[in-house]
Amino acid sequence: MSDALNLKAYDLWKTYGDEAVVQGISFSLAPGEIVGLLGPNGAGKTTTVGMLFGTVIPTKGFVQFGPWQLPGQGQLARAQMGIVTQEDNLDPDFTVFKNLTHFAHHYRITGAAARQRAGELLALVNLEHRAEAQVDELSGGMKRKLVLARALLNRPKIVFLDEPTTGLDPDARQDFWRLVQHLKASGCGILLTTHYMDEAQRLCDRLLLLQQGKVIDEGTPTDLVARVIGREVAEIEGVEAQILQDLAARYETWYRAFGSGHLISLPDRDPEVVWGAIAAHHPSRLLRRPANLEDVFLRLTGSVLE
Amino acid sequence: MKLITATPWGVYSVWWRHFQVYRSTWLVNCLPPVSEPVVYLLAFGYGLSPLIGEVDYLGQMIPYARFLAPGMIAIGVLFQSFFEGAYSSFIRLNFQKTWQALLTAPLSYTDVFLGDWVWAATKGSIAGTITGLVAVLANLYDLSSLVLSLPLIVLGSLLFGAFGLLVAGAVNKVDQVNVPIFLVIIPMFTLCGTYFPRDTLPPLLAKFAAFLPLASLVDLLRWPLGLPPWWPLLLLWLIGWMVMMARLAALRIYPRLFS
Repeated sequence: MSDALNLKAYDLWKTYGDEAVVQGISFSLAPGEIVGLLGPNGAGKTTTVGMLFGTVIPTKGFVQFGPWQLPGQGQLARAQMGIVTQEDNLDPDFTVFKNLTHFAHHYRITGAAARQRAGELLALVNLEHRAEAQVDELSGGMKRKLVLARALLNRPKIVFLDEPTTGLDPDARQDFWRLVQHLKASGCGILLTTHYMDEAQRLCDRLLLLQQGKVIDEGTPTDLVARVIGREVAEIEGVEAQILQDLAARYETWYRAFGSGHLISLPDRDPEVVWGAIAAHHPSRLLRRPANLEDVFLRLTGSVLE
Repeated sequence: MKLITATPWGVYSVWWRHFQVYRSTWLVNCLPPVSEPVVYLLAFGYGLSPLIGEVDYLGQMIPYARFLAPGMIAIGVLFQSFFEGAYSSFIRLNFQKTWQALLTAPLSYTDVFLGDWVWAATKGSIAGTITGLVAVLANLYDLSSLVLSLPLIVLGSLLFGAFGLLVAGAVNKVDQVNVPIFLVIIPMFTLCGTYFPRDTLPPLLAKFAAFLPLASLVDLLRWPLGLPPWWPLLLLWLIGWMVMMARLAALRIYPRLFS
């Protein structure tokens, strides 16, 4: 059964007037896998997620989730989906506990079964002590966890997390990541949109890098970094750009001006030669660090994630 | 807009959610439909009855308070269903994002729309029935007549609930709900034969008032006092208004949820 509930997006397009917000996105998501859509604001991540669960109608293309095709069968497909939207749409008319029991009613989980499931989920997200609180009394992190708990009422086979940790403090983000990893371990397929590089790198098995509605590259975080940048990057200030450009050209590495300084990737084979050559120019600031997804994005798009 | 199949459970589940909110503050929610007709009946019934005495309705003289009572029932229906459809649905749609949250569950747009609509109609029906009971206690409407009038109360509530939803889907700011209130609701509840027979109005104004759906509802609710010979047309007129309002409301709200 779980194998049948793969999600596949086929050539999704969405245009508003003359503007193409999503352009030909195709990918698949298997049970127990976390796929990330990584891109800056306005890259088309939320529009893509909307097409996956049926509130955005594709201009072209479709989504197949198990036996159901979206957008036409969104209602049936959502019975097996958990959806954490970017906006807070918890019910301010109910307590924390009733937000869960009353929402469970839409899945035909009622009475004692709803109360039991709500209790389990509040324990899972560490909110059992706030069960009788009003939603307005919760912190931002608690609200996000409650939205996640609500999305899990039906024991979904797949969960969409649209920018789930935006605006959360570091502790709350760590807490949320723990829950995501728990879901993955339980066999749930997860689609995560984020513009946080560390979140994508830490959680995702596979990434689709989005820019202006297009997938510009994809792969595992480690492969993407290794393939596009290499193992290490040097951050430099106080050295002429021309010197670094010449170095990059000679050793076939990547160079880019960045802020008030420069970035240059160190070749995987014999990085010490380039590092030594840079150091010989006595830069005012010199930092050697592992390459990351931010560098990947910078190289592929020329812009930073924000 | 694609027609998406509604399920009885889906519609009921959305209605049930609204009912749970209502139930949590039921005492406050029951106050307006009880207090409003009592105040109106006291003010107009006792206040104006000595001045007016009887009114000529369909060729017979009727005590003013008995003439007034069906009008009060219609106003209870109008206000409660319209305001639930307009203000409360607008808030659920634009501020609380309740519609958007419901659409992450296995509910279709039609489920959510019908659930909201039926809930608005439920509030109108509760208000109309409570007003009717007050009129029964005041000996201004028979209990058996009230029971037979319940389908009319439900129909009126569906119509004005749909009108409220149309407004919720059409306006961009909550203050703009005041526009149809001043342009439609107030003229309707004052001119449509609620407080006085429409034939006292100038002919053109009387025709305009008769065109508005509340006039048909009031005329039909006044059936224990007599019915005009063309009353089946009034019923069809109300059903026609209801279907049109519901269709327009569904078309206006859909693009706010699906892009």
